[in-house]
Amino acid sequence: MMPREPVPQVWVVDDDAALGRSVVFLAQSAGWTARAYTSPEAFLADVDRACPGCAVLDVRMPRMSGLELMQAMRSAGIALPVIFITGHGDVALAVEAMKQGARDFLEKPFRDQALLDAIAAAVRASEAQLAAAGRREEIERRYALLTPREREVARRVARGMPNKVIARELAISDRTVQVHRTHVLEKMGVHSAAELANLLPGEPPG
Amino acid sequence: MRLPPLPRARRAALSAALAALTAAPAALTAAPAAIAAAPAPIAAAPAPIAVSAAAASLTIGALAPDGAESAERAWEPTRAHLAATLCRPVVLRSFDLPSLREAVSAGAIDFFVANSGFYVEMEVAHGASRIATLDAPPALSPTRALASAIVVRADRRDVAGLAELRGKRVATAGTDGFGGWQVAWGEFARAGLDPRRDFATVDETGFPMRKVLDRVAAGTSDAGVVRACLIEALAARGELDASRFRVLAPAPADGFACVRSTPLYPDWPFATVRHVPADTAKAVASALLAMPRTPGGTAWTIPTDYRRVHELLRELGIGPYETVHAQPTLGELARRYWWIVAMLAALAAGGLLHNLRVEWTVKRRTRELRAALDAQQRLALEAQAQQRALDHLARLGILGEMASMLAHELNQPLATIGNFARGIVRMIEGGRTQPAPLVDAANEISQQAERAAGVLQRIRGFARKRPAERAAVDLAEVAAESIALFRGMVPDAPAVQAELHPSRVRADRLQLEQVILNLLKNAYDATRSQPDDAPAQVRVECGPAAGHARLAVVDNGSGLGDADRERLFEPFFTTKPQGLGLGLAISLRVIESHGGRLFADAAPGGRGLAVGFLLPLEGAPS
Repeated sequence: MMPREPVPQVWVVDDDAALGRSVVFLAQSAGWTARAYTSPEAFLADVDRACPGCAVLDVRMPRMSGLELMQAMRSAGIALPVIFITGHGDVALAVEAMKQGARDFLEKPFRDQALLDAIAAAVRASEAQLAAAGRREEIERRYALLTPREREVARRVARGMPNKVIARELAISDRTVQVHRTHVLEKMGVHSAAELANLLPGEPPG
Repeated sequence: MRLPPLPRARRAALSAALAALTAAPAALTAAPAAIAAAPAPIAAAPAPIAVSAAAASLTIGALAPDGAESAERAWEPTRAHLAATLCRPVVLRSFDLPSLREAVSAGAIDFFVANSGFYVEMEVAHGASRIATLDAPPALSPTRALASAIVVRADRRDVAGLAELRGKRVATAGTDGFGGWQVAWGEFARAGLDPRRDFATVDETGFPMRKVLDRVAAGTSDAGVVRACLIEALAARGELDASRFRVLAPAPADGFACVRSTPLYPDWPFATVRHVPADTAKAVASALLAMPRTPGGTAWTIPTDYRRVHELLRELGIGPYETVHAQPTLGELARRYWWIVAMLAALAAGGLLHNLRVEWTVKRRTRELRAALDAQQRLALEAQAQQRALDHLARLGILGEMASMLAHELNQPLATIGNFARGIVRMIEGGRTQPAPLVDAANEISQQAERAAGVLQRIRGFARKRPAERAAVDLAEVAAESIALFRGMVPDAPAVQAELHPSRVRADRLQLEQVILNLLKNAYDATRSQPDDAPAQVRVECGPAAGHARLAVVDNGSGLGDADRERLFEPFFTTKPQGLGLGLAISLRVIESHGGRLFADAAPGGRGLAVGFLLPLEGAPS
């Protein structure tokens, strides 16, 4: 059964409720699923870190500035890309935001296309980020299925050792090495020693 | 968060714009006079150098009763000193009295040097103000410098004192002269003589003044009025035999080098015309004070007291006191014009012909009276127009200070409207035409348009030109309103603590509101720029204090050093990266125009500032 692709979410946080709704409406008009929050705390409580997406934050908010909210997200392990919306003239603030790892910033009033482009790029980055994280988990899961002997063989195959050398090192027959090697490739879901080396660069875990 | 300061060019452009605005009221007043008669320097005057960049050069008008040449000789060293010290072209133009009067009223010159009588007239009529007083021999002091000598030929045994001048022919260089006539007039008046009716003739000889002495010597006039020391100076140069003249009513010897018939009056002032910016006047004043004494003995000292001159002119009813009082009482009219009444009575008995003549005279006097009244009314109207322009400027200035805040407020609804509108277009273009979301979005747009209109409404209320209206108001009430307005205007305004006690003042409510708003905004900015997390505190105190109504806005911001605090009310002084530095300078003008003063002290808690003002309490003796 095909796993359902998660729908990317656009999270909008702005203390000006109407402005927040307008950003949501604009995002929806381009086909995104979007939600607006006026309170940073409510957003932090709701946000789903497993979903791809992005956060669109107002820089100037009374209780918690956009920058502080981004820091709060990062320390809570929420890796969503952040797009800042700044008032006119907040250039220095924007520079600071970019330094701290913001994905993009837009000066109010902004062109709709600029916002939509920024959202699209941020969501793509988020998806790539999640996919990479997902692959890493998969590799770890598969590696955990190998027996201790198979792991010894796998490490050596990934380093490019011929079967004969492995057999000598582990004091087993060539034939046994060949059997382990076949199991390792099967369990790790790859077809060649080169592919295996890609999955297990350097010293593999475990 | 600090932002980069305004680029220098933009700041310069702003100050130029402000200078133009400040100059505007003067230009306003100048217009009628300029149409009536362009002020012309007297014919003999050296042609002033045409300076294309009029803004950069300063023009000094010099009263030149003895002709342009001697005026230039007298004032050229001063001109040269100013040009060198201020590093800008300074032009000296000579004027006779009427054309100097026109030049001042038209704002055609920036400064003038003239006798104290003329100065006092310009002070009252056109807001001229003295920045230095001449300090030159033979004055006893700058305040005791000028006097007149009333002379007869030494052999005139029939004239022993001033009283004997009744019915005589009296010569003067010109009746508009101060030292050469008006000062002596004061003594005539004290002796019970009115030169306008008690002398057989008043012979005006024109300049140079020695013509007066020539006439007296020749016997074509019985007496003459000259500046004290003229006889001594001419005698010293061997041009005159002093023993041929006798000075009437000589003042007791008091160290003054010359014989004189009158008390001593202040010397010539160096005065600034109203349109000149305060800092220019200040620079010129300090340059004058620093000027070393010239070989001719000319130096400048701090401006002296011209009250004696005011008193003299008031006594005589001339100069600034010449205009008819708005509503002269019957008694005043009778005193002033009793002789018309007397003549009327005499001539009524004398016959029809005389009667007609009298009627004509009365008509003429009435016409003059009406003209004087009209002139006064015109002046009052001009002054009002000027005040309105100033008030408007003040409002615009404060508005400018609030502009960044208002820009943020307008930006929000505009950005919101833009997003919804473009969203609608995208929905429709994408074929998603379900009515519900589109209607919702359109409603959002109209609400935001109303929000923007509300912001504009508030600005318009401020910027509207309106005459200043002074009325008895409770300062506490005005303060409460300002606080409410402030909280409405600034989206994340801090809570404002208020300790308001009723204090009645006479003031323009809106202007006070603007000043208080400006103080609140400054306090808010100060607390906002704090680096640490101390909660922002803004407190407004209002109540009677030592005969005044006191209002102070206290913040717990970063405060200011003593040096910065002293400069706080100067135009264009600011410690804020985005500030223009105009708010407090304008507030100062508003408060001073209400007879009060601004203050800035360190806050009582030792942290932050207390900025506010004192106004006279309504009903308190001023």
